[in-house]
Amino acid sequence: MPQIKIKSINAFYEKLHVLKNIELNVSKGEIVSLIGPSGSGKSSLLKMLVGLLIPKSGKIYLNENLVNFKNQSDLRTIREQIAIVFQQYNLFQNMNVLKNVCIAPTKIQKRDPKEVNEQALNLLEKVGLKDKLKSYPDELSGGQQQRVAIARALCLNPQILLLDEITSALDPELVKEVLDSIRLLASEGMTMLIVSHEMNFVKEVSSRVVFMDEGSIIEINNPRNIFEKPKEKRTLDFVSKILKEK
Amino acid sequence: MGYTLVYTQVLEFLPYLIKGAWISLQIAILAFFGGMFFGLILATVRTFGNNISNKIVICYVTFFTNTPQLVQIYFLFFALPEFGILLSPYIAVLLGMTLNAAAYLCEIQRAGFLSIRQNELDAAKTLNFSLFQQVKYVILPHIMRVLFPPLSNHYIIMTLGTSMAAIFGVEELTGRAFNINSETFRSVEIFSITALIYIVITFIATFLLAIIGRYFFKAKIRIIQ
Repeated sequence: MPQIKIKSINAFYEKLHVLKNIELNVSKGEIVSLIGPSGSGKSSLLKMLVGLLIPKSGKIYLNENLVNFKNQSDLRTIREQIAIVFQQYNLFQNMNVLKNVCIAPTKIQKRDPKEVNEQALNLLEKVGLKDKLKSYPDELSGGQQQRVAIARALCLNPQILLLDEITSALDPELVKEVLDSIRLLASEGMTMLIVSHEMNFVKEVSSRVVFMDEGSIIEINNPRNIFEKPKEKRTLDFVSKILKEK
Repeated sequence: MGYTLVYTQVLEFLPYLIKGAWISLQIAILAFFGGMFFGLILATVRTFGNNISNKIVICYVTFFTNTPQLVQIYFLFFALPEFGILLSPYIAVLLGMTLNAAAYLCEIQRAGFLSIRQNELDAAKTLNFSLFQQVKYVILPHIMRVLFPPLSNHYIIMTLGTSMAAIFGVEELTGRAFNINSETFRSVEIFSITALIYIVITFIATFLLAIIGRYFFKAKIRIIQ
């Protein structure tokens, strides 16, 4: 039974057709990576799953329930189950690290502040930021901010985690520390959709890899096949170009 | 120079001057908050309004920021009676300063609107914040943080600008200093004490605003410029 079922989805940014007839199923505990050139619709697909982009046609099922994106209660439900970590971290600049992590669980999910605080401390310790609880985002490096964003997403206890190019704004030496945090989550069996340009990482952690181009899914395959013997020529062109650049 | 400073003669007027300072503060505070409110409406129209309403606001701001405030108050005080609207000096000054402040505060608040970071709003939405919670936890703290320094500077400028009211016969601090001067002719002593009172009230205001800005809005404000 797929945890996320995407059927014939089309979405637009004004007149730009950014997602074209997307079909994708993601099972519980699966790690699906989305790869493809810039502007291929990878981030738009993630944004659509958290209701930041409303599809014009098609259907999405979450745990077999049809999602109506125009219904606020449905939007709330999907956002309770799916958390996203953005490329630019999107932390609240007026809140310190601990508040960034705790605000949604306490104020939105109305959970016990003591229990949330304990969980936040555990998560921040896990991502190596226990000594930065009182720091503000502008006092942290990009890698540290990204790890706060990961802790913030995880503190919501989501069923599914979306990661949108979380290493692309980081210096190479900071990439490792963020990817280590994701590896840890992957080993714990969380369902994840990952947009990444880190091909070695994609190869290592993914259950399946989706190659997208110009808003369409071109190929879905296991990591080994997609990098070594892709079915589609466009996939081959992209993969060989990327691997050559590396 | 044979002038001898005699402060004793003037010091007896100190309570009278302090009462004047209180009137100055009243005008500054009322005009500032009136200007903030009206400026907020103008800034909202300027940011989210249509082409026509936008142009009306641009004309308003251009007029009030490109003509002297004194001329604007003169117009309200001397020209409006020609149309049957008679304003007291206090009201004319208060209204003039409010309309003028609205133009400047419109631009300051518009800059605040434009500086709201879309990515923080996206994060708030995906974390299930309601619109009210977005405003409370994300938009307002951000706007206040960005706007607090220019707003507090403008407030100080307005406090000092209240001295214009003396020209219209309002008995605020400068007006009362004029009165004492015409009675005692101790100009140096009177105006030095008046200047000192202005320094004290602006310093207290700057200090309080800096404390509020630093601790409530994390705004970087220097106490001594």
